[in-house]
Amino acid sequence: MPSPMVVFAFILLSYFLVTGGIIYDVIVEPPSVGSTTDEHGHSRPVAFMAYRVNGQYIMEGLASSFMFALGGIGFIVLDQTHSPSTPRLNRILLIIIGFACIIIAAIACYAFMKIKLPGYLMS
Amino acid sequence: MCVCVCVCVFDDRAWYPLGRIIGGTIYPGLMVTSAAIYHILNWLHISIDVRNVCVFLAPLFSSFTTIVTYHLAKELKSPGAGLVAAVMIAIVPGYISRSVAGSYDNEGIAIFCMLLTYYMWIKAVKTGTLFWSTMAALAYFYMVSSWGGYVFLINIIPLHVLTLMITGRFSHRVYVAYSSLYVIGTILSMQISFVGFQPVSTSEHMGAFGVFGLCQIHAFVDYVRSHLNKNQFDTLFRAVISTIAAAGVLTLAVLAALGKIAPWTGRFYSLLDPSYAKNNIPIIASVSEHQPTAWSSFYFDLQMLTFMFPVGLYFCFSNLTDENIFIILYGVLSIYFAGVMGVMVRLMLVLAPVMCILSGIAVSSLLSTYMKQIDDVKVEKKKQRFEGNYFMRSEIATLFVCVMSVFLVMYTLHCTWVTSEAYSSPSIVLSARGHDGSRIIFDDFREAYYWLRHNTPEDAKVMSWWDYGYQITAMANRTILVDNNTWNNTHISRVGQAMASSEDKAYQIMRELDVDYVLVIFGGLTGYSSDDINKFLWMVRIGGSTDKGTHIKEHDYYTPAGEFRVDKEGSPTLLNCLIFGQVYTEGGKPPGYDRVRNVEIGNKDFELDVLEEAYTTEHWIVRIYKVKDLPNRGA
Repeated sequence: MPSPMVVFAFILLSYFLVTGGIIYDVIVEPPSVGSTTDEHGHSRPVAFMAYRVNGQYIMEGLASSFMFALGGIGFIVLDQTHSPSTPRLNRILLIIIGFACIIIAAIACYAFMKIKLPGYLMS
Repeated sequence: MCVCVCVCVFDDRAWYPLGRIIGGTIYPGLMVTSAAIYHILNWLHISIDVRNVCVFLAPLFSSFTTIVTYHLAKELKSPGAGLVAAVMIAIVPGYISRSVAGSYDNEGIAIFCMLLTYYMWIKAVKTGTLFWSTMAALAYFYMVSSWGGYVFLINIIPLHVLTLMITGRFSHRVYVAYSSLYVIGTILSMQISFVGFQPVSTSEHMGAFGVFGLCQIHAFVDYVRSHLNKNQFDTLFRAVISTIAAAGVLTLAVLAALGKIAPWTGRFYSLLDPSYAKNNIPIIASVSEHQPTAWSSFYFDLQMLTFMFPVGLYFCFSNLTDENIFIILYGVLSIYFAGVMGVMVRLMLVLAPVMCILSGIAVSSLLSTYMKQIDDVKVEKKKQRFEGNYFMRSEIATLFVCVMSVFLVMYTLHCTWVTSEAYSSPSIVLSARGHDGSRIIFDDFREAYYWLRHNTPEDAKVMSWWDYGYQITAMANRTILVDNNTWNNTHISRVGQAMASSEDKAYQIMRELDVDYVLVIFGGLTGYSSDDINKFLWMVRIGGSTDKGTHIKEHDYYTPAGEFRVDKEGSPTLLNCLIFGQVYTEGGKPPGYDRVRNVEIGNKDFELDVLEEAYTTEHWIVRIYKVKDLPNRGA
């Protein structure tokens, strides 16, 4: 019988894949990044499919679900900082990593959503 | 019970000429609940119109859901977790989208019933008493009467029991809980006419039956083990297991080969194999609620919960109990199913409660640990040698609590914004902003339905695509061919063939079905993008999917380059089919420009021979045509 934490790691990996829209990618087969042509006729890559909440490119899906998983890991790390026997330096590093993960993930997801829906959080 | 009366009701004004047995083709729970509330209130002389009961039923039940979520999370972890979970589910957009006032659909009460059944099940597993198991069976009966999603419950509860068996946690309590729930629940569920004998004959229910048998065997083995010594028991055990396994496999194979066990129906099979619907059953693939989910839908409907979900799972894993295993299973399965099929809410709706519960567990556990550290505690001498390991303990704790508060406030802001922007508009009256920012209202749908109601004979039959069936029945009060119930794929396919064929073939089909009026939706003048031309490819796919429609091939409607275009480059089959003519006749007031597809129309001189225009609404969104009679003399 595998240990609970091994099962949890496996579940976290599948959560990363599913929230990245992997099933959407398999069925709809969007391109990896989109492209537009600018004034000079060069084609420039577009990272986020704009104006559609239910559409994505493959890379943007994986990047966002990585942010979800990172936020979750940040909180889990912060939960590990309470044991009395960890040395002081380790504790400080863990706390810094935890907070950094959380804050980066939250800001990144807000920024991604803002790019996708320009009117996000503006009435 | 009043359920059996419904079997006698036959609706002959929908699905002409087939009609529809109302009692046997819907889940009665929603209607019975509304009627019960209406009668109770009126008996108390609080006179409320039944329409108002129906409009406010969904918000009422979502309040009940909040209360049940509190109790469920309290059973799983602690009252603190319950409170946080309840607060989160009160505003989560994934659930609000389906429980706004006026949305009178099964999901409004189904989620309440589902969580109630889960709560009763958890209590039954924890206490092992017959009382809670029977309550769980009654809650399950209520769930079966209200939504087809009960299949999810009757698979996740046996899966939970199976997991407990595998992890060695099977006990007398689980045995009592599951056996009573399965027997009583199945018998009760078969009382609903729509369900009928499915629980004993379809593959979706066989898992529950299998686990029931396994429970009996497991309990019997434990009983025998307690009465024999080790060697005798081992020999007996091995011999019996091999015989039973062989017999079981043989029986299943025989039953499946004889066709006694119906295979998984398309709708549920497509959950296991997502590409099945896309390749084989276009009507399931076409429903926009059945599209797979992109990352932004998850974030849009859940925001902060997407971060806290893994953390909640982590807390459950570090503290495994029987009930935590259940919530882990529920969470993992619903994440998968919401990913397969959940854009316009359908299964995102099932995911939202478990996300809230797990996030509530996570937030509550984290906050309770950190809140204790905020005050500088005076420690005894024994613990002091570890004190040096801590670094600014109370400051870090305060910082964490502030960060968490900011997260929760952002969650609230997000939920209220999403609800006001995306989930608060009525769907039958559309609005848009003009160039100067003023609001323009498009009330074309109601205009067309009222025109039909007042200007056509009582027994007129209207052909339109199935999306508008319920609306025509309710507001125009006319007989229709197909509606949103979509129970008969062949009939819908016939309508699709009529829309996609040339005028002569379409006229034959329309005469055969006794059609008097045809209704189509056109968005090209206003830029309304959910019109019939955008849905047209689905009409082609569904029309071509049955025997009579084999002459309709999807690739005939594309250009040689493989694109779907309505301008001059469009394929000739498309430019000459019935629906093209209906939608675009004089629809291009000069210069004949379609604002949705952003092209000039390819065939501007379309003259309809078999139809004549009866009515077009103010913004050209709804167009109604009368089918001309056969000429009196041969041509």
